[in-house]
Amino acid sequence: MRTFLYFLLLMIVAAAVIILAAILGDVGAWYFAWLVGTTMIVLISAAGAALLDAQEEHAAAEGLAAVGRHERT
Amino acid sequence: MDLYAVAQVIWWVLLGVLLMGLAVMVGMDMGVGVILRYVGRTDLERRVALNIIGPHWDGNQVWFILGGGAIFAAFPLIYATAFSGFYVVMLLLLWTMILRPLGFEYRSLIARAAWREVWDWTLFVSGAVPMIVFGAAFGNLFRGVPFHFEWNMTSFYTGSFLGLLNPFAIVTGVLSLALATMMGSLTVMNGAEGAMYQRARGLAQVAAAVAIALFAICGFWVRAIPGYRLTGGPGSGVPQTPLQQSVVTAPGAWLTHFEAHPILWIVPLAGFAGMLGAWLASRAGRSHLGWWLGALAWIGVIGTAGAALFPFMLPSSTDPSMSLTLWNSSSSEMTLLWMAGFTAVFVPLILWYTGWAFWVMRGKVSAEKIARGDEHAY
Amino acid sequence: MIDGTVVDLSRIQFAATALYHFLFVPLTLGLSFLLAAMETVYVTTGKRIYKQMAQFWGGLFMINFALGVATGLTMEFQFGTNWSFYSSFVGDIFGAPLAIEGLMAFFMESTFVGLMVFGWERLSKGQHLAVTWLVALGSNLSALWILVANGFMQDPVGAAFDPITMRMQLTSFPKLIFSPDVQSKFVHTSIAGYVTAAIFVAGVSAFYMLRRRHMPLAKRSFRMAALFGVLATMGVITLGDALGFVAARVQPTKLAAMEGLWKAEAAPMPFNLIAFPDQARQENRGVVQLPDLLSLLVTHSLNRTVPAIDALERQAKQRIENGIPAVQALQALSRDPKDAAALAQFDAHRSDLGYGFLVQRYAPDLSKVTPAQVSEAARDSIPPVAAVFWSFRLMVGFGLLMLVFFVLAALYTLRNSAQEKKWLLTAAVWMIPVPFLANEFGWLVAELGRQPWTVFGVLPTWMSASTHTVTYMAFSLIGFVALYSVFIVIEIYLLVRAIRLGPTEHGDSGDEPPQPRPAPAGRPSAAHVTEPEG
Repeated sequence: MRTFLYFLLLMIVAAAVIILAAILGDVGAWYFAWLVGTTMIVLISAAGAALLDAQEEHAAAEGLAAVGRHERT
Repeated sequence: MDLYAVAQVIWWVLLGVLLMGLAVMVGMDMGVGVILRYVGRTDLERRVALNIIGPHWDGNQVWFILGGGAIFAAFPLIYATAFSGFYVVMLLLLWTMILRPLGFEYRSLIARAAWREVWDWTLFVSGAVPMIVFGAAFGNLFRGVPFHFEWNMTSFYTGSFLGLLNPFAIVTGVLSLALATMMGSLTVMNGAEGAMYQRARGLAQVAAAVAIALFAICGFWVRAIPGYRLTGGPGSGVPQTPLQQSVVTAPGAWLTHFEAHPILWIVPLAGFAGMLGAWLASRAGRSHLGWWLGALAWIGVIGTAGAALFPFMLPSSTDPSMSLTLWNSSSSEMTLLWMAGFTAVFVPLILWYTGWAFWVMRGKVSAEKIARGDEHAY
Repeated sequence: MIDGTVVDLSRIQFAATALYHFLFVPLTLGLSFLLAAMETVYVTTGKRIYKQMAQFWGGLFMINFALGVATGLTMEFQFGTNWSFYSSFVGDIFGAPLAIEGLMAFFMESTFVGLMVFGWERLSKGQHLAVTWLVALGSNLSALWILVANGFMQDPVGAAFDPITMRMQLTSFPKLIFSPDVQSKFVHTSIAGYVTAAIFVAGVSAFYMLRRRHMPLAKRSFRMAALFGVLATMGVITLGDALGFVAARVQPTKLAAMEGLWKAEAAPMPFNLIAFPDQARQENRGVVQLPDLLSLLVTHSLNRTVPAIDALERQAKQRIENGIPAVQALQALSRDPKDAAALAQFDAHRSDLGYGFLVQRYAPDLSKVTPAQVSEAARDSIPPVAAVFWSFRLMVGFGLLMLVFFVLAALYTLRNSAQEKKWLLTAAVWMIPVPFLANEFGWLVAELGRQPWTVFGVLPTWMSASTHTVTYMAFSLIGFVALYSVFIVIEIYLLVRAIRLGPTEHGDSGDEPPQPRPAPAGRPSAAHVTEPEG
């Protein structure tokens, strides 16, 4: 029941967002682009950081060779 | 009454509410700036005082910015005439006010004593001067301001800077400073302990007493000042310019409304009650209660000015018939209604999250923690 | 009539204080979202290094924010103090977005910025993250409403002159906020702020990497800034194009000045890459052209043109002739608001009222206008071409330079080898002033290109100022110059000092130790290794 209520709530939110986005896309396409674009820029930048962590862990796991390369520079 | 007149009155009231919010919220921060050097004898004590308002001064200052924005949007002719007319005073207000954010943010970044000393004085000046100007501006509204208009609403101010510093305006300016000092002291009481608390407690009582005396003096003095009375014109809810009305002046005319509607005496009485209550509450060590009573005092004082001046907002001493009233200087119906809509949505929201911010940061500011070097503190 | 020197001094003061304010604002707009990005990574991965990043860059953010707020106060005052006729003439429309900015955006930004700084120990991780996002949203919404107001000055839609109240009045609020100029200008400006912050963060991180200091923080900050910046720069350029497209329609004089387009050209029009415009002789010298490009840029086609200055001046003359009866009708209406004949005359000529005002500068008594005065006023209707032309080229040049930098930075950081490219890091440090310059030149293009109007086609600059004396204006200008000079010295000193001190090291870049929940009491302050001061 609880899950179903959450589902219902999220569906209502989704419907509201779609309607608002449709209206905004009509009268304020650049505003819409700003909302989507800003979110995208922030999230891609955040994903880049997470990727860096993965790359560093990978390099560390590769062993001493990789570490040595980093130390030399 | 038609919709336009209703919207005009709503915005007159809202502007009053904003000025009250400004006086209470900005006044308390400025009061802390004024008393900083008195309640805080050591650097650590001063940092405690600053950290009490640290999380909030920025949000509080928006009351001031919003006040300016609301005058501009709802009463553009008053914004234009008053800001350009009071030129030197406005610059003093502005130049001291722009020092304040820097004082808060930069003071404690460097530990050198001379650096902090300079910023402490800066915070004193940027607390005292704006509050005096704020009060003196109200005083000058009662005296009338020397300005007039050309055919296309170009305004001309013909007075001098010194003319704005007349005795009545000085008294209202000091009244405003006293109320700010009282609120600042109560705020420090709310957040500090020990010796600082005691100093603030003493100061709050002195400031409240001074405020009571000055408010009473203003009340008697205003009988002798020529008041303004609207005798004819297009009236409320009619689009117009200030060139179409007639106004006369008469001594004591500012009390007309109180004589006609004695119920209005409640407003100044609320002011006195608030000041007296704040005095007694600070004496009894009930600083939170005192703070709310201090807010009531501000509401009473500004409400009294509003009730006396209505419908005038900026009387002209050059040509009383060109005085600005809420009827002839407000924005159009459409602007007022749109803005009322935004206000109805956002002001409750603002009150809610401001309340939340104060709740999150509630409690006393710990001197030990600042001394230990909390890197986020001022 | 207002003294010409007073108008000039008012303009200098406005430009100086606005350009100064605009040094701090873009960094706030962008850095707030970068902080939100860093803290988002902290909350989702739980790695302490990202909290350290958010706090370090947050410290620099606050030093910059304080001056942004302080100098913003000046702007709010200045319309009333120095431009009182402007304020009463368009306050009905222009004031509303400023008030709404306070209500909707600035309150949010300022209230939550206090919690962002002071709330680390009192808020849960999720709450603090939400607060940081709200600061970012608030500061950018602030920019939105300011640019709604500015957009009205560029393209006054949703308003009409009311001859009874003698001012412009709102006719449609949605038209005002959804005007194409406002929309593209807001996105352009907001994203220019993202670019500014990205260059700032990348540059400071590169400074650390060159010295091998704070490597985990610097590498991560550089990576985030490079990706943030490369996307944002692309966005800025896209929106710059959109703005030019809008200007071609609503502000033809600005566009002609930007492109140095004196005489009509056949489609497809060539683009003046380099030229030295001569306003008096209305021609360019030392021209280097690229074929066809101008038509493509400003009309998005190869077979359309935009009007050149010679045609625009002829058009202005006609509009001035048509505007004179409108002003005369207004003067009659001011004496008697019920004068029906005057009202009819006004309605017939109302579309060119502003042009009537334009010639009043030379002919205060409009019944005695000479053709020479009309020509002079028509000449005035063209903005200063050389200044607009070069400001535009410098802005675009800096923008393209930043795009090149970010593409390289993104390429190398994604390979995790940026820290080894000394030339890239050195370039990054030298890039720090570039976005600030680009922003300033952008402001100049927009606002110089709007001249001779404060509200385009509606209200000339010459009559917008307050009726002050030259002494007053000199006094305030000197005061601002003195104060602001001191401010900038202090700000740069504090920023450089904070950057040199660097972030407080927590000694690890790994995972955060498991946190006791609930944590509103905060983790012990001893965990914060603090900086000795002074």
